[in-house]
Amino acid sequence: MFALLEAAGFKRIRSAVVSGFRFRKDSTRDAAEEFGVKAVLFTAERPA
Amino acid sequence: MTSVASPAAERPEPLEAAIKGEVLRMYHEVAEHPENEFHFYHGRPAAEMFDYQRAWLDRAPPGAVASFAGVGNPHLRSRVREGDVVLDVGSGAGLDSIIASWQVGRGGRVIGVDLNPEMLTRASEHARQAGLEGVEFRQGRMEELPVDDQAVSVVISNGVINLSFQKRRVFQDLFRVLRPGGRISVTDIVSAKQLKQSIVNDPKLWAS
Repeated sequence: MFALLEAAGFKRIRSAVVSGFRFRKDSTRDAAEEFGVKAVLFTAERPA
Repeated sequence: MTSVASPAAERPEPLEAAIKGEVLRMYHEVAEHPENEFHFYHGRPAAEMFDYQRAWLDRAPPGAVASFAGVGNPHLRSRVREGDVVLDVGSGAGLDSIIASWQVGRGGRVIGVDLNPEMLTRASEHARQAGLEGVEFRQGRMEELPVDDQAVSVVISNGVINLSFQKRRVFQDLFRVLRPGGRISVTDIVSAKQLKQSIVNDPKLWAS
């Protein structure tokens, strides 16, 4: 997403992992862990 | 999820339609039967997990809180101020739009956009229950937002953009609708590794 934001023209792009995010079911959680799936908060600005 | 993003032209249309159908079905399930269990946490437990203020959750209509299906808290970094015009992409049952509406006050405005007409009806009803007048909900696709150029000062979104097959277009359209100096605060799911094709092709996993 970082690259897509940059390509669209956004500046001051920041990201932070959402620490509380997790899947409810163990099977989904394990698969998500295997593929590095996580929730992220992105912020960015359209230049003035 | 981000690593599986590809231009729509590379995708067979039936798969995209099947995935959209499954996603809409899942959101319907959450809204209609919030008491059920899903692959993801939802409702008040999820909102509290993401540090939504308890005062917000106490004040919002119970239906909006119970149907919450976000993956984080875009309000933590949105820096919404009084008088702002906020766009909520994938507004669902309306909780994030309602919170943003409290933040912008009477001088501001919130536009919620969702693909699902059923969710628009629910969100409008929840906004009415909350006594809010400066919030409206519009049906539309996130790749082609029903919003004028440079019309909004802040975009928020919560767990929705990863569902698009055309993420590049989504971000281009977010840029189009933002005023110069405007900002986005988006929480979403990303994947560090390329997912297996069997996962990419499974509509049920997209909806989870």
